[in-house]
Amino acid sequence: MLIVEDDPDILSTVTDILEFEGYQVERASNGVEGLAAIGRARPELIILDMRMPVLDGWEFARILKERGVEVPILVMTAARDARRWAEEIGAQGYISKPFHLPDLIAAVENALGSD
Amino acid sequence: MTLDQFVQDLSWIIYLIIFVVVAIHAVRRPLRANIDIALLFGAAAASIALSVATSTGLIARGPLITGLSGSLLVGMVYMLFRIVDDFSDVRPWLMRASDVAFALTVAGAFYFAFFPPQPLWFSTLALVYLLAALFYSVAAFARETSRSSGVTRRRLLAVMAGSASLFAIFILVAVTTFFPTLSNVVSPLSGLAGLASGIFYYIGFATPTVLRRAWQEPELRAFLGRAASLPRLPDTESIVKELEQGASTSLGAPNASIALWDEQAQVLKLNFGDEHMDLPPTNKAVSGRALLTQQPVFAPHITPDNPTYSIAKRVYGAKSVLAAPITAGPRRLGVLLVYAPHTPVFAEEDLALVQLLADQAAVILESRALIDEAARVQAREEVTRLKEDFLSAAAHDLKTPLTTLVAQTELLERRALRSPDAPTDLAGLQKLKREAYRLKALVLELLDAARTEQGKLVGELEPVDLLATAQDVCSRHTSERHPCTVEAQEPIIGTYDPNRILQLLENLIENAVKYSPDGGPVDLKLWREDGFNHLTVSDTGIGIPREDLPHVFERFHRGTNVDDRRFAGMGLGLFICRGIVEQHGGRIWVESRQGPAGNGTHPHGGSVFHVALPAVAPAATPAEAPVDAEGERQEQSVH
Repeated sequence: MLIVEDDPDILSTVTDILEFEGYQVERASNGVEGLAAIGRARPELIILDMRMPVLDGWEFARILKERGVEVPILVMTAARDARRWAEEIGAQGYISKPFHLPDLIAAVENALGSD
Repeated sequence: MTLDQFVQDLSWIIYLIIFVVVAIHAVRRPLRANIDIALLFGAAAASIALSVATSTGLIARGPLITGLSGSLLVGMVYMLFRIVDDFSDVRPWLMRASDVAFALTVAGAFYFAFFPPQPLWFSTLALVYLLAALFYSVAAFARETSRSSGVTRRRLLAVMAGSASLFAIFILVAVTTFFPTLSNVVSPLSGLAGLASGIFYYIGFATPTVLRRAWQEPELRAFLGRAASLPRLPDTESIVKELEQGASTSLGAPNASIALWDEQAQVLKLNFGDEHMDLPPTNKAVSGRALLTQQPVFAPHITPDNPTYSIAKRVYGAKSVLAAPITAGPRRLGVLLVYAPHTPVFAEEDLALVQLLADQAAVILESRALIDEAARVQAREEVTRLKEDFLSAAAHDLKTPLTTLVAQTELLERRALRSPDAPTDLAGLQKLKREAYRLKALVLELLDAARTEQGKLVGELEPVDLLATAQDVCSRHTSERHPCTVEAQEPIIGTYDPNRILQLLENLIENAVKYSPDGGPVDLKLWREDGFNHLTVSDTGIGIPREDLPHVFERFHRGTNVDDRRFAGMGLGLFICRGIVEQHGGRIWVESRQGPAGNGTHPHGGSVFHVALPAVAPAATPAEAPVDAEGERQEQSVH
């Protein structure tokens, strides 16, 4: 799966958590890196931070849609509007920062299962 | 009938009409002024009656009648003098002198009526007295006219003119006495003077309501014209002053005041010039009566049992009051009071006018209250909006390090549970430490921002070497990409809160580094000038756009050229810096040039932050005023 997140510590922590659970994880610090990563290999799931520099979450989702890339998205954000944003971009689910480890894993399994 | 006869008859008719009007008025309201006026025209009427009676043969001429006629004429002048005292105050000794002169003249008139002939010296003296009294009266009315306005002024003008006409008549009488041959010329002139006096006195003493209203109209119109703009004046006090001014000029009285009703304390707040009085509503006070009965009240005399008696007398010299309640619908707002030093200024007709002005005042004051309420609501909404902005800005920034702290600790715990013998994950622990520090810095920044608002940033003061502090902070932040230098001629010592000064310098230097993403020097300069210690921090970074310059030191402000995601921050750093500087009694400002657009180096961009601190900062709170180097207690300064 692909994690797109601009804060380096959050990025590395989430990666560690998911690798610990046995998932294979690709990392990207912003929307541009994320698109490049998708170009190399189609992920099963994208965990997407919304507020990023260079290319933010909304633009990223829009471009994916334009290119017809259908990968489930899990929105990950500190904002209160997490649920609304997830609906806006047609994501499969959302998780609010800060989150508990079990909740993150549950959200990921949910999003993967809802194919 | 000759013209002379016609003119004389006309004058007599006018005087008789005046007498009837003022007599009725005196019966209705037996005040001293009204009685004096009635007596004046009573004497005139009696004199006229006597003339008619003797000329038609109803009464035989005789010494008694002659004496009486003369006395009545003198009596008129005497009464006029008394009326001067009613409209303005005449000195007591002058009144006594007039009384004596009157008595002597009447006595003389009768005596020489019975024992003719009337010697020239007596006639002369009598004329001198009469002319002097009339002259004084005219002068007194003229003086009062200049001090009055509106209806009162015009009435006094009319009375003055009437008295001047009487004066003319007596001059003419004197002329005939000394130059009897001129009586043919003089006689028609005195007839005209008599007619003139009648007309003027009618206007002055028996003012028809129509005329009164016509005189009030321009003042009233001017007042109503200004009324629409009144609610927009900066505060209720200025509105009240304007209303009071309008009321006094419209009614022609020297003073007016508005007593505001305090619903909570249940008192009328009266003011007399600079003096104030809180009065619980009582019928004994005119204002109280107006408020309780919700009717306009005319009090010709303020009596000693009125609680405002002494203060009204002292400040306004008031004797007579008109009051009307100011009420907007069900809400009682107060009472409009108009004061005059003499009773004859007001008449019953003025009650309607004062109520009209009070109603106008009610509308204006209520508009004002509504405007104030709207402003308060807006201010509350602004506060709420700021709080929401604050919360959303703070929330996001706090949640970022928290995310790592929570998730990472849970991960470390899981790993430890699964592999209890695994070596310590140093990198993982360092990550936790890093994020904990980030969180700490943010929380402290928020707390400092809150303290800035409350003015409680500055603590204990002590001597601080600014140069040493600057060098210390610089050396800790200097790097190859951002070399930091300090330039100064000498050590710069001031009395400040050392922790806050350190914080100030850290903030400014960190900002300089942060906003020079492509590297660049950070230069500090310190110097002393005019009792102030000056510091500048310069960088060659992205600079501050012109439109942001007035706002950089505001809470939550981020520059418009600052990409939120590239340069993290809550926008509190400079706000806190300003708080630190200002609470030390100093000033902070910035000069800046925005670099050309683009991400490359900006050779011509950059900012220079200036700080000017007094050599000795004022104390934080009076209770803990610290002692400075010379052992003197600091004065607290007002911010």
